[in-house]
Amino acid sequence: MRKESIPVSALIGVIAVIALSIASRAQVTTVQEQQWLNSPAATSHVHGLTGDAQRAAMNYRRYCVGCHGDLGDGNGEVAPWLDPTVSPGNFRPRDFTLGVFKCRSTPTGTLPTDEDLFDTIGRGLDRSNMPIWNQLTNQERADLVAWVKHYSPRWQSEKPGTPIQIPPEPQITPDRVKAGQDVFNRVQCWKCHGVQGMANGPSASTLQDDLGRTIAPYNFTAGDRPKCGKTDADLYKIFMTGLDGTPMPSFVDNIKPDEAWDLVFYLRSLEHPNKNNAKEHEIARQLGLKPVNPNP
Amino acid sequence: MTSPRRHFAGCLLVVLLALAVVPKANAIPAFARKYGLRCSACHETWPILNNFGLKFRDNGYQLMNDRDAPIWQNPSYWPVTFRITPIWHRVSANTEVDTYTGVTAAAPYGASAVKSVESSGFDLSGLDFHTGGTLEKNISFYVLPSSDPTAAFHFETVMARFDNILGTSWLNLKMGRFELNNLLSEKRMVGLTAQGGIYQTYHYIPVGDANIFGQMGDNQLGLEYLGHSYNDRTRVSASLLSSNDGNVNLIMGSNSYSTFLTFDQGIDTGKLGVQRIGAYYWGGEAATYYRTSAGVAIPGSGIGNKGFYRVGFTGQLYLGPHFDLNVVTQHGSDNAWFGQGYGNAVNTNGNGATTCTAGIAPLTTSGCLPNNTPGTVLPVGSRAAIWNGYTFEARYVFNPQMIFIAHYDAERMSQQANGPGYTGLGPTGIAGPSPSSLGNINLWDVLFRYNPFMSSRAGMAIQPEFTVFQQTGTGPTNPVTGLGTTEHSSELLIALDFAF
Amino acid sequence: MKTHYREKFLALAAAVALVGAATVILNRKVSAAGEGSITGTVKLSGTAPRMKPIDMSKDPYCVKQHADNPATLENVVVGSSGGIKNVVLYISEGLTGNEASAVSSEEPSFDQKGCMYIPHVLALNPEQKFKVVTSDQTGHNIHPLPAPGGGNIGWNKSQPPGAPPIETSWKAQEVSISVKCNIHPWMHGWHAVVKGPYAVTDDNGSYTIKGVPAGSYTVTAWQEEYGPQTQKVTVAAGQAGQADFTFKAK
Repeated sequence: MRKESIPVSALIGVIAVIALSIASRAQVTTVQEQQWLNSPAATSHVHGLTGDAQRAAMNYRRYCVGCHGDLGDGNGEVAPWLDPTVSPGNFRPRDFTLGVFKCRSTPTGTLPTDEDLFDTIGRGLDRSNMPIWNQLTNQERADLVAWVKHYSPRWQSEKPGTPIQIPPEPQITPDRVKAGQDVFNRVQCWKCHGVQGMANGPSASTLQDDLGRTIAPYNFTAGDRPKCGKTDADLYKIFMTGLDGTPMPSFVDNIKPDEAWDLVFYLRSLEHPNKNNAKEHEIARQLGLKPVNPNP
Repeated sequence: MTSPRRHFAGCLLVVLLALAVVPKANAIPAFARKYGLRCSACHETWPILNNFGLKFRDNGYQLMNDRDAPIWQNPSYWPVTFRITPIWHRVSANTEVDTYTGVTAAAPYGASAVKSVESSGFDLSGLDFHTGGTLEKNISFYVLPSSDPTAAFHFETVMARFDNILGTSWLNLKMGRFELNNLLSEKRMVGLTAQGGIYQTYHYIPVGDANIFGQMGDNQLGLEYLGHSYNDRTRVSASLLSSNDGNVNLIMGSNSYSTFLTFDQGIDTGKLGVQRIGAYYWGGEAATYYRTSAGVAIPGSGIGNKGFYRVGFTGQLYLGPHFDLNVVTQHGSDNAWFGQGYGNAVNTNGNGATTCTAGIAPLTTSGCLPNNTPGTVLPVGSRAAIWNGYTFEARYVFNPQMIFIAHYDAERMSQQANGPGYTGLGPTGIAGPSPSSLGNINLWDVLFRYNPFMSSRAGMAIQPEFTVFQQTGTGPTNPVTGLGTTEHSSELLIALDFAF
Repeated sequence: MKTHYREKFLALAAAVALVGAATVILNRKVSAAGEGSITGTVKLSGTAPRMKPIDMSKDPYCVKQHADNPATLENVVVGSSGGIKNVVLYISEGLTGNEASAVSSEEPSFDQKGCMYIPHVLALNPEQKFKVVTSDQTGHNIHPLPAPGGGNIGWNKSQPPGAPPIETSWKAQEVSISVKCNIHPWMHGWHAVVKGPYAVTDDNGSYTIKGVPAGSYTVTAWQEEYGPQTQKVTVAAGQAGQADFTFKAK
């Protein structure tokens, strides 16, 4: 039987492809970025794991670079094509070089903790193009947190803010839901979010984010989860730390921690009914709660 | 192929590859266009799914970010992807060739000799139209009209699915013709050669066995329940399928159903990644007789159902982000009737021929199939056909645009259908019990796939591949011993794969 | 005849002593501070652009505050004599290290009143404390937007009616930090964070930078529409250097 043989030139071709392709592997694109990649800031500590940025390079290229870009500035190859008309303010990928993040447990103007970034990766951002990356192992996510941190000079010199203290969640009672409505009225959430939470308040139509792009406030009656997670504690953190980079301010100076839980319960009663807010809806119905009237 | 032509083909390859070093551009077929993700987010290399892509599919092609329903899409988005694959390949196989020497009256073309016959040239792999996605939140669909290289179309996939019924990821229902829930899915194989482009373990049928069902690689018709945990670590499915290997119009028979059950569990192993271990069972029955009209089997009249099963383990083991090993084992068993060539109305003779001559003894090469005559008894020495198969596929991902794959299949008969005491002619024309290794397969396949660009609008890959296939006892007959030798074939292929 | 030499001498001595003491005292004052000032006027040449009236209908409270006197945009506020208000004057070159890093001990207020920022432009040193207050009975949020990478980090806090003042400071020089309220999109102010002594022009476009040691300096005038202009000025000890600026209307 004649022995099979592969044409030599085809073999050379294959080797050439391998060599060329290895050469085209994603490399860090600037000298400064290379320095930050090797700095102590490019590590993370979360859930007992230590994340290392270098280990995340392959995963970043596979999953993230299309939107967030090689330079981490949100100018990935698909970023120009993400449709802004579909959900205003929710289409642009985050620019990591600024060190400004929406979902944090730390005060406005400060850096998030490693755990904040870890949670955002694993939770995704509802109604945006940021998927839920919960199929990644914890270690992979910790490594990606370290990678994200190497993009901004802020992590070289600044420490993350001190996470706000959140008291334990109390029982949901009619008094609290009613008190929550009073808070909603007093700090005037309805100006943007509308009296029924439908994002149709008087100031809603002119809102712009930090880069001057049109952005819409959260519509409590639509969607399944607010941006930063669906637990009550996640909702608490949103208005007590503010969504940096957006018009949503921090109310930590104006709402006491106990009152904040009241507001959380009231906000749940504005949402589309689901199994997580059944109690709040029940109470609102029993109390006969009407939307606040800003012009009595 | 002569030497100069070989060099030409090789040089052409080098030129193509040199042109291929193009930096990544933008684009996205179908899903990528919808969500803004690169192909590599869901695919280890297109079309193999990684864990994120598997979760996307298990969710009904949804990211679950409340933006999956079609009303959220830009009106110019159209969920269609085309795939065409022009190839060049050289196939070589050992076969009996008439030599035109020693011509006699008994052998008018001379003595036969076994030679390696080679053919090569440019060719096509067929054309696929993929369209799929969501009709509404939590209602998904997938339609895949697919043609073979001669432009004969069939529906490879036509399915609709209800996702997250009652709001839980544990209740999903799919119906139609669809891809089976295999961790290692043949529909997503990267291999393109004739033998290397299938998983032998999924298609193995013992020589002479007429049960075309139980081929796990093919898309099947039926109903599938799938349940999975929120992060897709635990997955379980149960399908009810018709025993027709996905062929429509009820040609096979009535009341022949099978069930396909799978389970797999992903285990978080930190830096290494997610390891998946699973198991599957496929058991069912198919018809062995067909009623006849004027001596011809009536399609769809199948009776005399007999059973078969396939069972095994699956594993998807990651050693870091670059390397993974996929394993499928199979223990298969077909009822003795299938082993004797009963069943399969498409093949009326069961032995491969499509006509039969009445009056010639059954089970000869041109005798009428007993499957046309209910009441036939099995010959002495017939047994269930039992075998074990193993598939290993190792993948090395240099980066999301470049992958190297090595794949090995082994099929080993442990019990032949024609056992001790069998006196008839076997499927290869030899009388008596079958040799114990008849039908055993070894397959080696190596390939390298490089995507010079892979964006959200289109993708292209260059793929050189080499396959060696061996099957015991199905090769040309040894004139001295009268036994079949080893069939041996190899294929070298270079493909340009386009998806857009 | 006896002359009154002793009395005369004593009187003269006392006068000399008095003058001398006065001189010493006066000189001590001048030489202790060593400080002069820079003064001048910033004018606009050409026709002043018309500042559009602001539609505050988003918030009836704001409309009511301006019922008698509708508010207009404040990008270029020109007085009757052609002087531009709200121009920041500061010394961009010539200060020694110590002088440049001195932090004013004043703690100015940045008020939200009638749904406008008062002052429209606030000048500060890096690290100088200031208070953000609200005098309105409608809620605001205070959202400064410093340029990225400049050393100042933005933040966003609410100030509902009756909210306590926010005390804070800026870390780094920046001319200037844009401040806005998202609830009332017309509200726009500036924080000009500069090193060394500074001043902001008044309604007539006049300014005086106080506490400038003797020396030669470059003074920069910054107006939010027209940008910066520089001039060299020399300050003699205890004297006022003069630097007038003219911006051309577009």
